[in-house]
Amino acid sequence: MLEWLSDNRSSIAAVIIVLLAITFVVSIFIGRRQTVLRAKDEVFGDPERTKGGWYWAVCGISALLLAWFYYSWGVGRAYFPSAANEMCQIAKLEESISPITAALPIGSRYYKSTLLVARNNNQLADLKNELPTEAFTAEEQAELKTILEQTSRLITNSSDPANLNKESEAKLAALGDQLKELTNELRAGPQGLTPTSEALAQPKWGVSDIEIPVLPMTAKGVLFDAVATKGQELTSTFVKIRNHIPVNDELIADTKERIAALKKANKTAEGDETVAETRNAYVKAVERIFKRLDDGFIFPAKSLDGINTAIGELNDAKDEARGSLGLIDAVFFPGDGVVKSKTQCTEQGSARWLPKPTDVVATFGKLANPDLESGGGYRGFPLLWWKWLPVGDVVGFVVPDWIADAWPGEYARHGADGKIEPNFKDKLLSVAQGEVELGSIPWLDGHIWDSLFRVLVALGLGIFIGVPLGLFMGVSKFFKSFFDPLIELYRPVPPLAWAPLILTIFGIQDDGKIFLLFMVAFAIMVISARTGASGTQLSKIRAAHSLGSTDRQIMWNVILPNAMPEILTGIRIAIGVCWGTLVAAEMLAGTTGVGFIENIARTVSDYELIWVTILIMGLLGLMFDLMMRWVIDKTIPWRGKG
Amino acid sequence: MNKTFKSVLTASAITLATASTAFAAEKINVAFFLEWATPNMIAKVDKSYDKAMGVDVNWVDFSTGTAMTEAMLAGDIDISYSQGLAPFVTAIQQGAPLKMVGIAVVYEANDCFVRNGLGIDGSNASELEGKTVAVPLNTMADFAFRKYMAHYNVDISTMKIVDQAPPDGAKSLADGAVDMACIFGGASSKAAGEVGKPIMSTQAKVDAGIGSFDVISVTEKFATENPDLVKAFMDATDEVNSAWKGTEEQYKIVADASGMDLATTKSQVDAFIVPSNKEQMEKYFGPNGIAAEAAASLGLVFSDATDKAALAKTIDASFLE
Repeated sequence: MLEWLSDNRSSIAAVIIVLLAITFVVSIFIGRRQTVLRAKDEVFGDPERTKGGWYWAVCGISALLLAWFYYSWGVGRAYFPSAANEMCQIAKLEESISPITAALPIGSRYYKSTLLVARNNNQLADLKNELPTEAFTAEEQAELKTILEQTSRLITNSSDPANLNKESEAKLAALGDQLKELTNELRAGPQGLTPTSEALAQPKWGVSDIEIPVLPMTAKGVLFDAVATKGQELTSTFVKIRNHIPVNDELIADTKERIAALKKANKTAEGDETVAETRNAYVKAVERIFKRLDDGFIFPAKSLDGINTAIGELNDAKDEARGSLGLIDAVFFPGDGVVKSKTQCTEQGSARWLPKPTDVVATFGKLANPDLESGGGYRGFPLLWWKWLPVGDVVGFVVPDWIADAWPGEYARHGADGKIEPNFKDKLLSVAQGEVELGSIPWLDGHIWDSLFRVLVALGLGIFIGVPLGLFMGVSKFFKSFFDPLIELYRPVPPLAWAPLILTIFGIQDDGKIFLLFMVAFAIMVISARTGASGTQLSKIRAAHSLGSTDRQIMWNVILPNAMPEILTGIRIAIGVCWGTLVAAEMLAGTTGVGFIENIARTVSDYELIWVTILIMGLLGLMFDLMMRWVIDKTIPWRGKG
Repeated sequence: MNKTFKSVLTASAITLATASTAFAAEKINVAFFLEWATPNMIAKVDKSYDKAMGVDVNWVDFSTGTAMTEAMLAGDIDISYSQGLAPFVTAIQQGAPLKMVGIAVVYEANDCFVRNGLGIDGSNASELEGKTVAVPLNTMADFAFRKYMAHYNVDISTMKIVDQAPPDGAKSLADGAVDMACIFGGASSKAAGEVGKPIMSTQAKVDAGIGSFDVISVTEKFATENPDLVKAFMDATDEVNSAWKGTEEQYKIVADASGMDLATTKSQVDAFIVPSNKEQMEKYFGPNGIAAEAAASLGLVFSDATDKAALAKTIDASFLE
């Protein structure tokens, strides 16, 4: 079932996208009608006006999801599932002839030969100017000048079409014809071509680790793939064609000899070290540039015109053969299109960092699978599941080991017969260390639970300590003046600033992370409870007092209910900030948790996993917020109505 | 108005005139690390690269190898010098069009320090089972950790592995919160060395063949379109590496270029092994070469679904010949 869902994710997405589009349109329609209907009897600024309006919520969510589907190429994949595979084949063709195009104006403005001529002429000119006259004798200087002269004649000779050797000319002409054949093949279209069974057996786009299947899966793809393979051959012929011309051969042989003679002279030359070094360096530089020019890389511009035109035609044929795919690419695949690397094709553009919604759900499903054996969970922990928690572990956690140490007597030693007789002290130690059989209770387990546990414990502590303190600060001079400076001093400190201390003070267990989150929740709770308490109307307190209330009754029945709106809002804010701090807290010494998953995913740029954790945190935060809204509605229904 | 127009025209004419003399000043962009004192910095400073390749070489410094990958994907960088093996393998696994064309430097694998007082060293390493270890996950230190444990036949699944950045790991080791900490970086290693001992000595690491190396990576596009430039870059690197004699002057140039003081530079450079092109062909890129082997076993650290053959395809030693 899951397998089937995973394999058919693009078809599922197609249905979902249609549904989303329908909901989007319908919700706008309903929304418009409702607005018109009520426009007359609603007063601007009335809070009651914002009540209800589920249709706008639906509208917003579907708009968001549609945008997500679009920018992650989800829409493209849903309706054109073979487009990426075909684009991959086109990328193959482009890649296969790229060494040719890069040498031509069609790919890089200038002929590569033009660039080489410019580059080498510049360097020759520089070398001529830099000739270290002090290091060489006049004779040698003349010799060097001749060498440079001859080297630049190599360039001139190669650039002259009249010198072009017949063999290279024939080769280039043949290559141009072969390119034309390729063009004709592309123009002939994909009739009669079928993808191989191996190609059809590939996992679909985005289903496996390889993003886009590499082998062609459609007739059009097969055509491009076949042309790309042939293009590859033409490219390897092209890069081997050299412009070796007889006029240059003599020059090259002569120059080589001259350089060799100079090198020999350098070896035997006497003199101080710096001079020798200058001489060596200069001759080496001359030799380097000479060697770059004796390979026949430079062609007359005219000789390559044929190839340039042929490539231009091939490009046109490619665009024709691509057909509607070009439009689909432009409209449905925002970004740089499909990029071919050595081992696979990948999405470039927004789809690279924004995984498709269906893929995120699939990754989430894989993580949420509690069966660790079959590849579920993350790093040996399920996402959210349950386990049998031995009660002994809880006891061991609560009872400190030193109790056993403090008990009078000695721990048992192994006897002469090699047996160990545990005494009471040993048994006490095993209880304190949790090695005792007390049965097990079902308990929650997994990354989400660990994160949730940390947040909830920190929040609970924050509420139970912060709220009473805040209330007292609101009513008592001592509490206010004593705690105010302390709390106001630490409150503005960002929680991350505590992180380095936490590790040293608390170590690597949960308590450090909980403390960090507690610091965040505590300050918020104190401030909100205090504001609530000090905001109580004096008349209400006086009325209660004159009716004979005790201090305790005033606190419990007047001040606390009055502070409730602020306290509950404080809790709402604290939950949000705690989730926000969680990633940082779990970075301290990560073993489990949603923030831990995100930290690890970040190191390998696993965007699907990163988005899953972002969504988990967002959804949990949303769930808490909805719960708090419900609590607020139930406990302080009078809020905003006074 | 008319006057302004005229002066603009004149200005553009002058610009055009000067531009034509500087015809097609080609430029390639190379990424490197500051504070990573490789001998080839000398060639960067004396512009040997520019001369050997015949183009302007623009050096851009980066702080992480992942950032190098991103810049290469964006087309801002053509060659990354000394990209870590870890970010390179990660990039390949994500389908980035990069290839490894050579080894920049080889250095000692990151150390795992066992807390003093536990009495655990290489001879009784199996006692590490059941202990707590701080490891910066998915880094070269993580890779080294797995190599050590595999070497000593220690079952990792019995250990509690805590993800900690090196400074935190060193601190936790000192606090006794963890029993072993795998560390990279000078300061953290020093701090961890105060309270612990490396599980494997330098010599033992060499004997067991556990080491780290940085690679020279290029984009597929650049390599197919400008093989001559890549070849020239590799040759120039080999040339400057073989010219390294360790003179005071050379150290000074490297120190300046990598932004460090002389003493730190010296100790860093001396710890590097810079294999020549020939050595690389024989030891790293030959049949059963170290490069493909290390990339595959590192890939397994990041993902169980690592395809060794696919990784090997992204290694191309043809520019070293």
